[in-house]
Amino acid sequence: MARRSSRKRPIRWHIGVFLAPATVIYTAVMILPLLGTLHLALFREVDREQVFVGLDNFSTLLGDPRWSASFWNAFRNNIWFFVIHMLVQNPVGILLAAVLSSPRLRLRTFYRTAIFVPTILSFVIVGFTWKLILSPLWGIAPYFLDFVGLKSLFAPWLGKEQYALTTLSLISVWQFVGIPMMLIYAALLSIPDGVLEAAEIDGITGMSQFWRIKLPLILPSIGIISILTFIGNFNAFDLVYTSQGAMAAPNFSTDILGTFLYRTFFGFQLQLGDPHMGAAIASMMFLIILSGVCFYLVAVQRRLVRYQF
Amino acid sequence: MHKARSSKIRTVAAHAILIAYTAIALFPVVLIVVNSFKTRQAIFRSPLSLPDSETFSLIGYQTVFAQGNFAHYFQSSLIVTMASLFLVLLFGAMAAFALAEYRFRANALMGLYLAIGIMIPIRLGTVAILEMMVASRLVNTLAALVLVYTAQGLPLAIFILSEFMKQVSDDLKNAGRIDGFSEYTIFFRLVLPLVRPAMATVAVFTMIPIWNDLWFPLILAPAEATKTITLGAQVFIGQFVTNWNAVLSTLSLAVVPVLVLYLIFSRQLIRGITSGAVK
Amino acid sequence: MGSLKLENVCMSFGRVNVLDDIDLEVQDGEFVIFVGPSGCGKSTLLRIIAGLEDPTSGCVRIDGDDVTLTPPAERGVAMVFQSYALYPHLTVRGNMGIGLKQAGLPQDEIREHVAEASRMLSLDEYLDRRPAELSGGQRQRVAIGRAIVRKPKLFLFDEPLSNLDAALRVHTRLEIARLHRELKATIIYVTHDQVEAMTLGDRIVVLNEGRIEQIGTPMELYRNPVNLFVAGFVGSPQMNFIDAARVGYPDADKIGIRPEHISVDPGKGDWEGTVVHAEHLGPDTMLYLQSDQAGLVTVRLFGEQYFKTGQTLYMTPQPERLFRFDAKGAVLGRVPEAA
Repeated sequence: MARRSSRKRPIRWHIGVFLAPATVIYTAVMILPLLGTLHLALFREVDREQVFVGLDNFSTLLGDPRWSASFWNAFRNNIWFFVIHMLVQNPVGILLAAVLSSPRLRLRTFYRTAIFVPTILSFVIVGFTWKLILSPLWGIAPYFLDFVGLKSLFAPWLGKEQYALTTLSLISVWQFVGIPMMLIYAALLSIPDGVLEAAEIDGITGMSQFWRIKLPLILPSIGIISILTFIGNFNAFDLVYTSQGAMAAPNFSTDILGTFLYRTFFGFQLQLGDPHMGAAIASMMFLIILSGVCFYLVAVQRRLVRYQF
Repeated sequence: MHKARSSKIRTVAAHAILIAYTAIALFPVVLIVVNSFKTRQAIFRSPLSLPDSETFSLIGYQTVFAQGNFAHYFQSSLIVTMASLFLVLLFGAMAAFALAEYRFRANALMGLYLAIGIMIPIRLGTVAILEMMVASRLVNTLAALVLVYTAQGLPLAIFILSEFMKQVSDDLKNAGRIDGFSEYTIFFRLVLPLVRPAMATVAVFTMIPIWNDLWFPLILAPAEATKTITLGAQVFIGQFVTNWNAVLSTLSLAVVPVLVLYLIFSRQLIRGITSGAVK
Repeated sequence: MGSLKLENVCMSFGRVNVLDDIDLEVQDGEFVIFVGPSGCGKSTLLRIIAGLEDPTSGCVRIDGDDVTLTPPAERGVAMVFQSYALYPHLTVRGNMGIGLKQAGLPQDEIREHVAEASRMLSLDEYLDRRPAELSGGQRQRVAIGRAIVRKPKLFLFDEPLSNLDAALRVHTRLEIARLHRELKATIIYVTHDQVEAMTLGDRIVVLNEGRIEQIGTPMELYRNPVNLFVAGFVGSPQMNFIDAARVGYPDADKIGIRPEHISVDPGKGDWEGTVVHAEHLGPDTMLYLQSDQAGLVTVRLFGEQYFKTGQTLYMTPQPERLFRFDAKGAVLGRVPEAA
């Protein structure tokens, strides 16, 4: 039996061993590159040499007419992309979750599983699939509009400047509506039966039960969904790239920050790639997402009361 | 809950809404898969009908297998996804255990540091990641992708797993300590088996974005030898834009493996989401 | 062998003192109970003895050796947990044997130890089952078996009966008492249940807010509590505490009298009161009387006795059972001794 008389506490090496691998990889491949990007944004290549230029890249991005036009275009488009998500994805998700959580519903698992299918597909599949469906060549979309007598409304939506971005946003909503549905469904399930029974006895039933009892109780979940959507939207790239190309056709009308970053970094057509300007754009995205998250944490989350049952 | 007046109309309406949306969700996928088995004329003439003996054709698949390198892409995707998944689960669980189990000075700070990655997407570091991979000659290797995806998956995995590990009975771990287990044995033999359901959930969450990612394969490993199935499909479809048979077949080939995996793990995934793992 | 000595053990989390200067000696073969309200530090103290928690300062000695910083497995202690803490993936046999296996004992010796413990606890027919296939009481026996197998110097029990239903609790209590007699083991037992404390312990340590209030045999604590806290904590229903000045003891702050040490009479007595409520338990009757002098007083009477609510009764405390307390709660000595 080991007997230690020394009064020194043994160092708990195992804590370090448990933490080290994750911390090392995470720091090396995620944190340092993020900082590296911020750092890179402060330099510019002049005569094959890196020169420190302070915030010059940012003033170019926001000040130079050509750059700033592209940047603000992508930024505006990104906001619209987000707005459509908030306006369509959340109400549809809430509706589906509310219906799905109705008591003694049959085939619940089937519906849940099926509606979540698009969420697991890659953007490549989603982008091309919808491109084909909406293509006037194939005629699936006009066929369905004809079915309800609205064939005249058809237009090659992805090809028209005024519709393309909204159409893409709706495709993205189609893909991701499963997530808000699931999270809200979970929140609805966690409301204890007792609370709802009390509401029944107090005469609060049906729709008014939803508005007065359930909705306030699922607000925190809606808050989380919104911030997750925000992060996802301002980081989006794949859907636009696969269905509209790096040039965000037609005429940059579907350009968002992700595609703008890609084009700037890798170059397109005659313009050469510019890692420093790319880093500046990534830094701006970093800033936008960070301020969104901070806004959520400070202004929204603190006001949302999380009820304990 | 007893709904004494649960009316028929309500039930019918509920099913109507759900069926309608299920159709919207599944229709595009079904359409693609069904049409991939038809001749070119049939695809355009009657896109909504099932293939019959006259219109059935595998020409698209033949083109894909003749021209594309899909078995190889599939293998790359599988290697990258499995390797990243293994590392995320192992390292993530270890770190989560340290954060959940031990009181030490930097605990809260460490947790916060590791949580940054949940909020800030790793993609924003791409410029510097590419520079780093170039410097370490890892461009166009699967290792580059594995490293990036491991880093990308760790924050959420640590966050979710540490929540679950906090629920593992202290008494059990203490019983192990009294029985002379080392901290490593307690982790691997006692705690890991108990958080298996949470591990499965994290596995699905981690796996889907890795399998579907286009950005990093495009930037870090676009070479033919290292193309993942997502990138492969993207490039292939780009080349065969006018060959509808080939495009539809490629899409179907890309959908099916994910769909099968999803159907196997969907209970796990849905339980994970609904148990409030994501908060 | 199995003696324990705690010297000046202190424990604090941040600024909160959980344990404050604990000194205690436990002899070989003794059954000692730690009792106290929740949050009094009794479980933390047990965990410090087990080695699961390091004390902020102070020293733990087992058989005279300083084990303050020795890992739990090397202290020669065994512990039975409130939640049983059985390894879910091992059979009963595996659960009981794993500690010995970890210590590197040969297979046949382990089998022998397990068989012996299993016989003692009549677990023979369950040896190949897993914990999930056992009832609560059986799990508890396996947990105890796992402790016995190790042949420890010290048995540590952390509220082992609190997850059992009432009938099983009585049964297991007897079982633990029998094991103590048979094994002649040193046992430290944490509980908040005073019936367990009174029936099992050779000595009881009453803890409150991280300090030891009193150490003594069960009857010492019952007969001679040193302060208001112990007087109130030991005994059920609780001792009556009455403003001393209002019932004629000007030298004390409060007086205390147990419900069973008050007699009632419809005609005469020291304090007049009216019956507010009566609880009929069968063997006992609890009377609650409201008195102008003494406030609400609980009286315990033997057998079935019937009184009407609102009826006037006179209460008389047994003088030799009356305690006087000063303003700080310390006992000033019993009334007759002072008189």
